[in-house]
Amino acid sequence: MGLKKRSKVSAEFSMSSLTDIIFLLLIFFMLTSSMIVPNALNLKLPGKSNANPPPTNTKPNIVKIAPKGTYYLNGSQIKRSSLEQEVRKLKKADSKLAIIISPDEETPNEYVVAIMDIAYRYGVDAILTDPK
Amino acid sequence: MLTSAAVQINVELPESDSKTVAPTDIAVMMTKDGRVTFNGRAARLNQIKRLIQKDLPGQTNVQNATVTIIAEVGVPWKKVNEVMKIASELRLKAIIATQPSK
Repeated sequence: MGLKKRSKVSAEFSMSSLTDIIFLLLIFFMLTSSMIVPNALNLKLPGKSNANPPPTNTKPNIVKIAPKGTYYLNGSQIKRSSLEQEVRKLKKADSKLAIIISPDEETPNEYVVAIMDIAYRYGVDAILTDPK
Repeated sequence: MLTSAAVQINVELPESDSKTVAPTDIAVMMTKDGRVTFNGRAARLNQIKRLIQKDLPGQTNVQNATVTIIAEVGVPWKKVNEVMKIASELRLKAIIATQPSK
């Protein structure tokens, strides 16, 4: 019979396509894993020898945070956006500015972190008080 | 790949602009419904100190061991404060995990 095989399957193994896929996977996992790792704000706890002592020469600016998330700067209520402006203004006037963050026990932590973030962005020393 | 999968964070974190990467060797995670996990295992807040103490000798970098506080949005500050106090008592560093602001 005159039948003949139409196509021959190549038994050769192509390395380049394998490496292609491996590199693709590598890049994919590198990108996704960096998304899993969260960012963080560094805290300096009392008692650690390498923590800088808080500056004492300036008048303290106290930011109180109520359980509902309302902010009080030195006793008067203030919105978060205006607080940021205020911090920027104060920082300009005094480069050694320090703010004292005094959250209530029941304050959700994101409001506290928001203030810590403002302080971090403007390079202001922020001191947390113990709510108790 | 393996190390990043060790601590799975699928809660919403407070937002900040900080670009510091949080170490996850000692991770204390707290959720809004009051659950506390230590390095992925369920725990209670009053056990955390003991668990960290037990875990410390196994750390590769004991001098710079850092407690990462992963607190979901809505967790009352007193709980975060509690963990900060524990870290301070054990003379460890503490860092609070955040996510980049949208």
